[in-house]
Amino acid sequence: MNRFDYARPATIAEAVALAAEPGATYLAGGTNLLDLMKGDLVRPARLVDVTHIPGLDAIEPLADGGVRIGALVRNADLAHDADFARRFPAIAEALLAGASAQLRNAATAGGNLLQRTRCAYFYDAASACNKRTPGAGCDARGGETRMQAVLGWSEHCIATHPSDFCVPLVAFDAIVEIEGPKGRRECPLEHFHRLPGDTPERESDLAPGEMITAVRLPGAAAQFAGHARYLKVRDRTSYAFAIVSAAAALRLDGETIVEARLALGSVAAKPWRAHAAEALLAGAQANEANFRRAAEAALAEARPAGANGYKIELARRVVRRAFILAHAGTPARIQALPASPFATGALRHV
Amino acid sequence: MSGIAFTLNGGAAMLRGAPGRRLADALRDELGLTGTKIGCNAGDCGACTVLLDGVQVCACLLPAARVAGCRVTTVEGLAQDGALAPLQAAFLRHGAAQCGICTPGMLMAAADLLARNAAPDEAAVQDALGGVLCRCTGYRMIIAAVLDVARTAQPDMPAAGRAVGAAIARRDGVAKLTGAEAFGADAAPPEGCLALRAIRSPHAHARFQIGDCAPLLAAHPGLLRVLTAADLPGGNLYGIYPEGKDQKVLAEAHVRHRGEPVCALLGEAETLAAIRDEDVPIVWEVLPPVTFARAQAAEAVQLHAHAPENILCRGRVARGDAAAALASATVRASIAIETGFVEHAYIEPEAGFAVRVGAPGSERIEITACTQTPYMDRDEIAQLLGLAPSQVRIIPTAVGGGFGGKLDLSVQPLLAAAAWLTGRPVRWVYSRPESMAATTKRHPARIQAAAAADGEGRLTGFRCHGDFNTGAYASWGPTVANRVPVHAMGPYRVPDVLCTSAAIHTNDPPAGAFRGFGVPQAALAGEALMDMLAAQLGLDPLEFRARNALGVGDTTGSGQVLGAGAALPACLDALRPRWAALRGAAAAFNAEASGSLRQGVGIACMWYGIGNTSLPNPSTMVMGIDHAARPILFSGAVDIGQGSNTIMGQIAADALGVPVAALHLVTGDTDRTRDAGKTSASRQTFVSGNAARLAGEALRGEILRRANAGPHARIALEAGVLCVSEAGRTIKLDLASMPADGEGLVLRGEGRFDPPTTPLDADGQGIPYASYAFAAQIAVVEVDLDLGTTRVLRIVAAHDVGRAINPQLVEGQIHGGIAQGLGLALMEEFIPGRTENLHDYLIPTIGDIPPIETILIEEADPLGPYGAKGVGEPALIATAPAIFNAIAHATGIRLTRAPATPDRLRAALLAAR
Repeated sequence: MNRFDYARPATIAEAVALAAEPGATYLAGGTNLLDLMKGDLVRPARLVDVTHIPGLDAIEPLADGGVRIGALVRNADLAHDADFARRFPAIAEALLAGASAQLRNAATAGGNLLQRTRCAYFYDAASACNKRTPGAGCDARGGETRMQAVLGWSEHCIATHPSDFCVPLVAFDAIVEIEGPKGRRECPLEHFHRLPGDTPERESDLAPGEMITAVRLPGAAAQFAGHARYLKVRDRTSYAFAIVSAAAALRLDGETIVEARLALGSVAAKPWRAHAAEALLAGAQANEANFRRAAEAALAEARPAGANGYKIELARRVVRRAFILAHAGTPARIQALPASPFATGALRHV
Repeated sequence: MSGIAFTLNGGAAMLRGAPGRRLADALRDELGLTGTKIGCNAGDCGACTVLLDGVQVCACLLPAARVAGCRVTTVEGLAQDGALAPLQAAFLRHGAAQCGICTPGMLMAAADLLARNAAPDEAAVQDALGGVLCRCTGYRMIIAAVLDVARTAQPDMPAAGRAVGAAIARRDGVAKLTGAEAFGADAAPPEGCLALRAIRSPHAHARFQIGDCAPLLAAHPGLLRVLTAADLPGGNLYGIYPEGKDQKVLAEAHVRHRGEPVCALLGEAETLAAIRDEDVPIVWEVLPPVTFARAQAAEAVQLHAHAPENILCRGRVARGDAAAALASATVRASIAIETGFVEHAYIEPEAGFAVRVGAPGSERIEITACTQTPYMDRDEIAQLLGLAPSQVRIIPTAVGGGFGGKLDLSVQPLLAAAAWLTGRPVRWVYSRPESMAATTKRHPARIQAAAAADGEGRLTGFRCHGDFNTGAYASWGPTVANRVPVHAMGPYRVPDVLCTSAAIHTNDPPAGAFRGFGVPQAALAGEALMDMLAAQLGLDPLEFRARNALGVGDTTGSGQVLGAGAALPACLDALRPRWAALRGAAAAFNAEASGSLRQGVGIACMWYGIGNTSLPNPSTMVMGIDHAARPILFSGAVDIGQGSNTIMGQIAADALGVPVAALHLVTGDTDRTRDAGKTSASRQTFVSGNAARLAGEALRGEILRRANAGPHARIALEAGVLCVSEAGRTIKLDLASMPADGEGLVLRGEGRFDPPTTPLDADGQGIPYASYAFAAQIAVVEVDLDLGTTRVLRIVAAHDVGRAINPQLVEGQIHGGIAQGLGLALMEEFIPGRTENLHDYLIPTIGDIPPIETILIEEADPLGPYGAKGVGEPALIATAPAIFNAIAHATGIRLTRAPATPDRLRAALLAAR
């Protein structure tokens, strides 16, 4: 780990000023950054600890029925906020399916958006990685690809974004509020993360020195509350990154789908919104055949980045299953093993 | 900054170090509160869990500045006025701590839960504790403890002569529950300790040159020296087998695996942390690696001069004519199984310190570190330093999990060399990635096996060959190669067998000892074959096994006739009612299943020879009485969490005839104890337990002789007085007048036990082990056919343990072994360079382990202490095959590659369609 300077600003303006210097990085929950620093993968000259800035940890209802989530709201606090969980159950389910209780108690909403990929080649300083060293090459290509992307990847990078939280957020048109040296702006979450192209080192829309101050959900997102689910397939029952995940939600008129929402996780360098699948379901009957067609559409552009072709079919099935679950209705409370395919019924022990 | 003021365990506290340092480090290094453990430093293991304003967080991911003005509670804050908190008492009562390294984290996570929910259900416990990894317990006893906090009464300690068979709490339990236990990184090093850091190869195979380090030294005043191979005073080679030492403490011009150390930096810890690997002047010439798939191909270079075709060694057991038996059989089945590397993933990374002591001319080196084998360490270090073994003292710390991985040297050689060369104390703690990259693993295996049976369902022949990837260096490869052929046919009567094995060198990390020495891999093949034969014959899988189960008087593939205590038939009898019920329930579930979930119920058997294969492996123990009439057992057996400290005490106390609560224990210090061998091969209860029994009996004999009393006299130790009572007559022995020996003992007994074995001939015939443990386990799984995911719903485990010296500890071993077997079956696969942390390398969490029912079969082994056998490795072996057989039952798919990840199961389902 490099030596670094530590600053604790009391206001957003102060933070932005402190972060304007090259090499400065914002520190919030630290659950990803400290790990990266320990591995010497990032070497900030200055940590700007924003956790003491007042006002960034509020969950505020908005006039349109939406909600504004302060960037410092901790994952656990958001997931356990009864009103939030009632109106945005798939988001609460995704939050509780992520990481462990300890990490959820520390990780923040803003930090979640900015977490780095878990690609093993990114973490291995001895491997070539275009994210770490632009132009160095990508050893993941031709390497271990089981967990890598199947959508939107390029020859320069096949890494995925690991977030659970971002998947339903992008499905529900979340907006990212940003402050920076040039003032305040906002960006739809769908356009916040970037696909790798030939600049995989640029992972988000944030300019140097900019910080996330909040994530906003529009009131329309709450209209899916009765039929919204998050489903996550992983290699163990808890505390593991997804192989594939999906957030699926429906607005129904009887058995007719008025509007559908779908996003996939761990399939691309960004949380993957599937507009084509949504369009296909709008006005359609809510049945398995249509969910299957939607799943086909969602993965139409998918291609293996190596030995991970299985993820494509798995993603189709996860999408279909997520819609079936959403159609069946959001459970009254999130069950044990949130988002697990095995928790879709009561947890069985024989 | 004046400091970081906060409330710690109810009192005011201040941190003065850098605000960006991690709270875990600050608590441990600055405040000396080492109860908060560091297992991964990445938020993956949860060992460092503390409460921050009442909620659980990982102290390793928390900048110290973050706690300013906050309340922090650590494990040291749980006990009040010296009394365990109810939660800690429940952990003690339920045997919820084994090695104890995860225990503080578990306790803090549970404390968070209980503060919010005084009466949680099981799912709530799994949710709250899901971020703390445990590698020993299998979690079930932890769940039971958290659900049972309300009860407070601790069971009474047994009276004299009643210790064996009693489920007493482990004697080191309180220390593990309060954070007082000192593991490798906790043992307080002397002031002025230097730090070490190894520079390791990033390449699997390479040549290298170390350039001029003078500029590096000049640039970093805190860097004292750069150690290279030339700095080992007595030589650079080490290895498990005296005739096959092939591993270098520091590589010389050639590295054979990623993670192999090439040089080491010695200096101030902060300086070392700031130096980047690339700052060290090393020029690499990368070579094509030898892989397991191509190690014997024409183009593969030979990695060691002594290993043509990269074959380190072979093993063989041949009896009768297996080829003929297979050719002429009524039914035949064959299978090829592949498994990958499995990492021990103990939560405690290797750690310790070394000190050079003594006056010039009589100097010695003392190494305080976690280890499973202090006496082998002593002899090996002596050789590397060019010293006599008597000049080396090994003081084992508490061991935070071993499972075979701490049988090989890790920190010890460089610590010893650095301390010896500089005369200053040196400390080293492996990082998690370093521990995972550089230390041994379970051997990846390719196993081809075939079995045959007659029309009555009797096995007639078995043939098997296993190639084992032993990696870059031998380590315990020969042990695997020898042990597997003896066990590969499983615990069955098979007249004609041919089992062979080869340990093959590659440019992978060295594979070594890991709970079962290759037998778990082989059992995946053998137990699949048993199911396949049973199916062909239309026989129930349990009944087919029962028909062939080895029992008393049967002959093994090695030609050994089994004596009393071989109790596999009793294990199967015990399982039979559960088997029928569980199979019936699964059939009913599947008949009604409309979705993609299917249940399956599988069974597997196992056997395991206790102790070294056909090699001497004696243990010696001393027991004595001091002037204060304290009975003291000097035990060189290292307790790595399995509970040998408690077991030895129970055995010795009963042998002497005193209450176990009165016994004092001196453990694992090569200056104070005798060689009790290594904690390996499930041998401590059987071998060292016998030594403890013999020592206790010898001491008792000595006391009775001095009191001129008969064999049934009662020995009582009260208030510093030793009394012997018999038929209304009591004799007080005047201990004060007796001369004390160098160990302060006025009366002593010594016990030595070496299991009777014979060498194996070229066909593997002989008596490789004095005792075998047997077991049969049932696994119930639920498979999602659509997604390829598998969840284990229940395990029922019947184990032949001879005699359970401590049923709770035995059950703890079985639970923990099952958890590791489940990991092997479903999720664990180490890929060098890619899974060197605990979020890419997945071990089971508390949510993965289903309810476990253990059934202990106690048919005494005449050679065992009070009839006992070992259970450490036997616990694991049957689990993965039972799960694979259950998956086959649920899906019709016979998996041939472990672990059964969703992609593999899906691919197999698609291929079968």
